[in-house]
Amino acid sequence: MNAPQPPRWAKILLRWLHPHNTLEEVEGDLDELYAYWVLRSGKTQAILRYVLNVVSVLPPFVRRRQSKTNYEQSFFLNPAMLKNYFKIAWRNIIRQKAYSILNIAGLSIGMACSILILLWVQNELSYDRFHAHANRLVRLTCAAGDFKAAVSPAGMAGGLRAQMPQIETAVRVSKPVTNLMEAGDKKFQEKRVFFADSNFLQVFSFPLLKGNAATALKDPGALLITEEMAKKYYGNGEALGQIIRINNKENFTIAGILANAPANSHLQFDFIIPMATLAKTDWDLQNDVWGNFNFYTYFRLTENTDITPSGLQKLGVQISKIHFAHGKDSGQTLKVDFQLQPLQDIHLHSNLQIDLPGHGNVQYVNIFFVVALFILAVACINFMNLATARSERRSKEVGLRKVVGAGRYQLIIQFLGESLIFSFLSLFIAIGIVFIILPVFKNLTGKELGIHLTDGKLLVSLAGIAILTGLIAGSYPALFLSGFAPVKVLKGKMRVAGGNLLFRNGLVVTQFVVAIVLLVGTAVVYKQLNFIKNRNLGFDKSSLLYMPMTGDIWAKQQALKTTLAQNPMTENFSIISDLPTALISGSTDVVWDGQTANNQIVIPSLNVDENFTSVFKTKILAGRSFSSEFKSDSANYVINEKAMQIMGMNIQNAVGKNLTMSDEKGTIIGVVKDFHFKSLQYAMEPLILRLNKWGGVVVVRTKPGSTEAAISELGKISQQLNPAYPFTYGFLDKDLDNLYQSEKQMGSIFNLFAGLAIFISCLGLYGLSAFMAEQRKKEIGVRKVLGATVTGVVALLSQDFLKLILIAIVVASPIAWYAMDSWLQDFAYQTTMDWWVFVLAGLIAASIALLTVSFQSIKAALMNPVKSLRSE
Amino acid sequence: MRRTYLGEFEELVLLMIVILDGQAYGVTVSQEIEEHTGRVVTFGAVHNTLIRLEEKGFVTSELGGATTERGGRRKRLFKVTTLGSRALQDIQQLRNKLWHLMPDGALKTIGL
Repeated sequence: MNAPQPPRWAKILLRWLHPHNTLEEVEGDLDELYAYWVLRSGKTQAILRYVLNVVSVLPPFVRRRQSKTNYEQSFFLNPAMLKNYFKIAWRNIIRQKAYSILNIAGLSIGMACSILILLWVQNELSYDRFHAHANRLVRLTCAAGDFKAAVSPAGMAGGLRAQMPQIETAVRVSKPVTNLMEAGDKKFQEKRVFFADSNFLQVFSFPLLKGNAATALKDPGALLITEEMAKKYYGNGEALGQIIRINNKENFTIAGILANAPANSHLQFDFIIPMATLAKTDWDLQNDVWGNFNFYTYFRLTENTDITPSGLQKLGVQISKIHFAHGKDSGQTLKVDFQLQPLQDIHLHSNLQIDLPGHGNVQYVNIFFVVALFILAVACINFMNLATARSERRSKEVGLRKVVGAGRYQLIIQFLGESLIFSFLSLFIAIGIVFIILPVFKNLTGKELGIHLTDGKLLVSLAGIAILTGLIAGSYPALFLSGFAPVKVLKGKMRVAGGNLLFRNGLVVTQFVVAIVLLVGTAVVYKQLNFIKNRNLGFDKSSLLYMPMTGDIWAKQQALKTTLAQNPMTENFSIISDLPTALISGSTDVVWDGQTANNQIVIPSLNVDENFTSVFKTKILAGRSFSSEFKSDSANYVINEKAMQIMGMNIQNAVGKNLTMSDEKGTIIGVVKDFHFKSLQYAMEPLILRLNKWGGVVVVRTKPGSTEAAISELGKISQQLNPAYPFTYGFLDKDLDNLYQSEKQMGSIFNLFAGLAIFISCLGLYGLSAFMAEQRKKEIGVRKVLGATVTGVVALLSQDFLKLILIAIVVASPIAWYAMDSWLQDFAYQTTMDWWVFVLAGLIAASIALLTVSFQSIKAALMNPVKSLRSE
Repeated sequence: MRRTYLGEFEELVLLMIVILDGQAYGVTVSQEIEEHTGRVVTFGAVHNTLIRLEEKGFVTSELGGATTERGGRRKRLFKVTTLGSRALQDIQQLRNKLWHLMPDGALKTIGL
């Protein structure tokens, strides 16, 4: 008789859910028990108990029986295994030299690039952080409408400190002045001379090497010089206590020697003179004015002040109110907004006018940081690509290790360890490369960069880079290779799967996307610089030679003019107050006919003479320029188009209108066509030209080919009229060029790294194509036997890569367009981004890649098919 | 070696395995417990306890030969290990010792 059967559904449930390794025994046991229950207490009871008991052996109630292993797995960091891993890794490196060289070269160049960039980035970020209270130091800046400037009035430092408890101390620093310094027989024009309040050394942590920091800036007859200057003027002799003569007039005692201004300080000085000295002659300082913006003011805030951006903004609003109230008392109605700018932000976040020169740009720091990451990524991708492509070779090893009992995690550790060995080897080579390239890179960036291997922090970050690179680069091969099924591999049925191919192609595309974006970047930066260079500035900048009027020349202006006019070399001259590279004066105190409300726009002004329009070759649109024939011109004005628009006038009616600037009444006698008197980063501003009554700079338009002669003539004139001063001169177009220094640097850095990114990508491509050619050796042999031409075979091997690069171009174009478009937004005047830039970048990338690939393809195509086919 | 903790039900099952002497498997253990203690236990509890005892090293098991009555399915037979018998003896000894320590008549006064 058949044994009674329990309900089918319960049995199915059991089979479905019970752990497999105990299913057999449990099913049997339950069947037996069922039969027993039926016998004892009847069928209904038995079914009930059966179902209940089935449930009791289903998850989550059931305990799983661990499958028993017959051997213990060794600890994965077993020294014997580690030794074996090292041995295998080393043998692999040695045996496959070409592959190892490609890999290590790619990784080390990539690392060297990122180390260089990171050094630069770190330098940029380190600005002004060395001060003891750096986080509590702020600078007072002002904004009148769109005109933002780094300067503030002389009286506000003291005035605000009295009214605002948040301000602990305030220090004022003058704009840099050029002075003639004389010690013994040494005599130089020094440009980095500042006047500073006596607490300068207490607020800023510039170390004083010699002298008393507490009293050094108290004595109006004393000054501080830097170590470098002490060396320049006194050699190895003692400089402290010596006398320096300034501008052939006054003698100063050297009260202290400062350490050289750190390269990462926004304040770059050679001489510091007490403010008290300037106060003897300066009207602003004597009267504590609140209306003339001529000084840089720094505050140290108290410790509990809210220094978050919103906190500083609140303080700024408060300061603006105090300033406005102060102005009301003295009858001024100009509304100026003030901001407190954190000291550490000055270098990277300053887009202010009338600022100290040499600022960086946070955008460039971000861009280059991303570029560094990208280049490292390209190098990692290279590694992954080559390793995966070669996976077939190592699959046998994986299979064997697995058969012998290696766990998957052991293999992962082995492969990661191998890539770490690669990355550390590359790191050492990269450091070597950095040492070699550093001088060039310093030149390129104009920065004092150094790599100090004794610096623990640097070592840690270098090791970090190596570990990160090793882990990222090794991750894919490790996971991929360790996943091989040993049986398949050892049977020899292992084929590179489609998914793997897709992944590898994705990596190649990514590499070339980076390379093409960088190429487009290079092209656009170049184009923009060219655009700036060739932009019509509204005046002719070529062959304009200038000489600042310093010293005795002031007093001999008439003589100067006569001498200049008499000399055929220098007859074409103009004396203007400021060069169009450094125009800093401006005023809101302008009243014109038809004005409805108080003027709130800062209108720059330039003092020019009668020759201005002819020397600078500007264009008069209406009326006339200044002329010596009209005696009344000293009270007349010429305005530019922009000013004309702002004042609501037009070409027809502007001439003859009244204009009052700083209480000087006059008439508009002409309108000059807009010309750029500031860097092209600024949009065209209004401008008022006045007749120059004092001096400034002599600008001479030299005749073609006679620049040298003109310089020597100018030198003679200077010698004759201004014997106490050395002769200095400059070229306007060179100065203009220098305004775009940081853009130029960016361009050349971009160039360098775009080149390297492509180079690294091509290293990878070279390895890949070699591998592909090798894999398809037999196919090529058969094709050749059947009559394929060499060209045909090369095309066959190259077209796969060409497709990838086409995809890369498509992907890269929008990214590059977006990135460069946002960079161009910084400029008031931008070049266009033409489609051909993208096509060109793509073509360059494609042709370099093709060149790389074709080397291997041609080699493969030229091979004798007999050789590759003989073995079958 | 650290003494492994032996639960009450585990002790019961372990005792049954000793009693059954080579014939212990899921069914017999369940039936014996039910018979001798009157407790109705689910098969899952027995099954889990057997696995746990084996993990603790008190018993070993092997699959027996197939029998037709179970539809050809093999049964897992359990045997006590030295460690298991030692554990049982330890418990027995401990209990005895504690019983001896009891003052005479104390159990009665507790309220029985």
